[in-house]
Amino acid sequence: MLKYLLFEGGLYKHERILEFLEDVGGFLVQKTVVGLDLIMNLAVPEEELEHLSAIVSELKGKLTHAPLIGTEIGVVAPTLSRHHLPHPACDIAENLRRHGAKTNIIGLSRGVGQKIIHTNIKEKELIEEHDIAVFTLGNFEKCLMKKTKLFSEIEVPVIVTGGPLMKSIPGAEAYVGGIGRYPERARTGEAIEKLREVSRVAGEVVEQRRREMDLDPLVVDPIVVKAEIERQVPESTEALSPNPVTLKIDGVRVKLPYDDYKDKIANVAIGDKKLSDFAEINRSLMRNYILVKVLPKSMF
Amino acid sequence: MVRIRIFVDSSDELGGQQYKYIAEKSVEDLGLGGSIDSIDMLIRVEEPVFIIVIRYKEVTGKSTLGEASYIDSRKNGIRITLSSEIFLGDALKALWSKYGRDRVEQIGRLEIFVSGAEPEEVKGVRLSEKGYDLDSRINELANRIIPEGFRVRSSTKNKGILTIIASEDTIKENWRALARRLEGEAHA
Repeated sequence: MLKYLLFEGGLYKHERILEFLEDVGGFLVQKTVVGLDLIMNLAVPEEELEHLSAIVSELKGKLTHAPLIGTEIGVVAPTLSRHHLPHPACDIAENLRRHGAKTNIIGLSRGVGQKIIHTNIKEKELIEEHDIAVFTLGNFEKCLMKKTKLFSEIEVPVIVTGGPLMKSIPGAEAYVGGIGRYPERARTGEAIEKLREVSRVAGEVVEQRRREMDLDPLVVDPIVVKAEIERQVPESTEALSPNPVTLKIDGVRVKLPYDDYKDKIANVAIGDKKLSDFAEINRSLMRNYILVKVLPKSMF
Repeated sequence: MVRIRIFVDSSDELGGQQYKYIAEKSVEDLGLGGSIDSIDMLIRVEEPVFIIVIRYKEVTGKSTLGEASYIDSRKNGIRITLSSEIFLGDALKALWSKYGRDRVEQIGRLEIFVSGAEPEEVKGVRLSEKGYDLDSRINELANRIIPEGFRVRSSTKNKGILTIIASEDTIKENWRALARRLEGEAHA
């Protein structure tokens, strides 16, 4: 099983890590260079962790366990108005990204009020394109309890954040209290700690989902699919969108127009099979992108 | 910073505290610190109703610098003393465009010195095309504070007091009575 790690260090001799990954069958998920600093999201076979740690400590880098690498998380705000954006939704999304996740912010059309609250099918489908959804709700316990219908039918794991200090909320996998509606960027240690708690809880939910998937593993690990798409369809790496081939827990999102590239993606060869033989290739509700969902072994 | 009295009476205590913080920050964001005396909020989530009473210093439309300030002649120029801080931005902008940055100097919180200018000439300088619109900023403040879902609203404005009753249902008479009581407390 692959373990997901965040490497923070310098550019100097980082090729040693890349060579090591190639040798042991690991993967580089994302590489970000900031001046002379380097941040890399890595996937390494569990049994090779010790060897990697030795190389990283020689290079004076830092290695952190980051289960959110390889996940795409939707941060859902009740609406796109000033009341709910940019704070706290963007703060939460930023912290999730710091822990390795790829995030998208979604604003509902009518996620406010106790009576008028409503989601439509398209919103539900868009949220379900993600691995996890984080709903950022408000400050009143009674209001929160009336808003459970926003997420109770969502089929991906849901984490809810809100002001009241409750332990859980019906219909969600987890609840993080103390982050309700607030009007400025989270700057205090206490507020940032709450953001970290959301990322930690999201990490636990992801690990749980991966453990469940291990019982019926996917035909091919999505990270292999990502590497092959990038190799065989070079346009996918040239797209201007951030993370043009976004890794998800059960597939990838390719940020190319569906109508123009669906066949090319479907024909990507992995081993002696085509991608379309063991994966569903669908149109994403987000900008017509391509969604690839790898099927589990039990389907064959 | 000018201290504004913010009072919250909420059936959900923790949520109420958060709304006090939201009100403080919204006042800061809109730069209304000098114009507002107090904000009173009454929150009953179970009904649901949100009443807000904002008491502010009324500013009548002043379109020229002569109306918004006291101007006296000094050696080599004139000194402008603004009647309120809210005119400062517009006054500096208007003076800079007329006299250039070299001749205009802000010498105090409310005072501006313009070298080589005549009082009569400066009195006629227009502050802005529309004049200062405090009312719309107070309304914006109330809108930023009131929860978005409370879309049925009843508002009254009277001598520097803006009262808004917001709910999801039609406004009830007893809420109006609560609002009047809150207005009384805002006066106190």
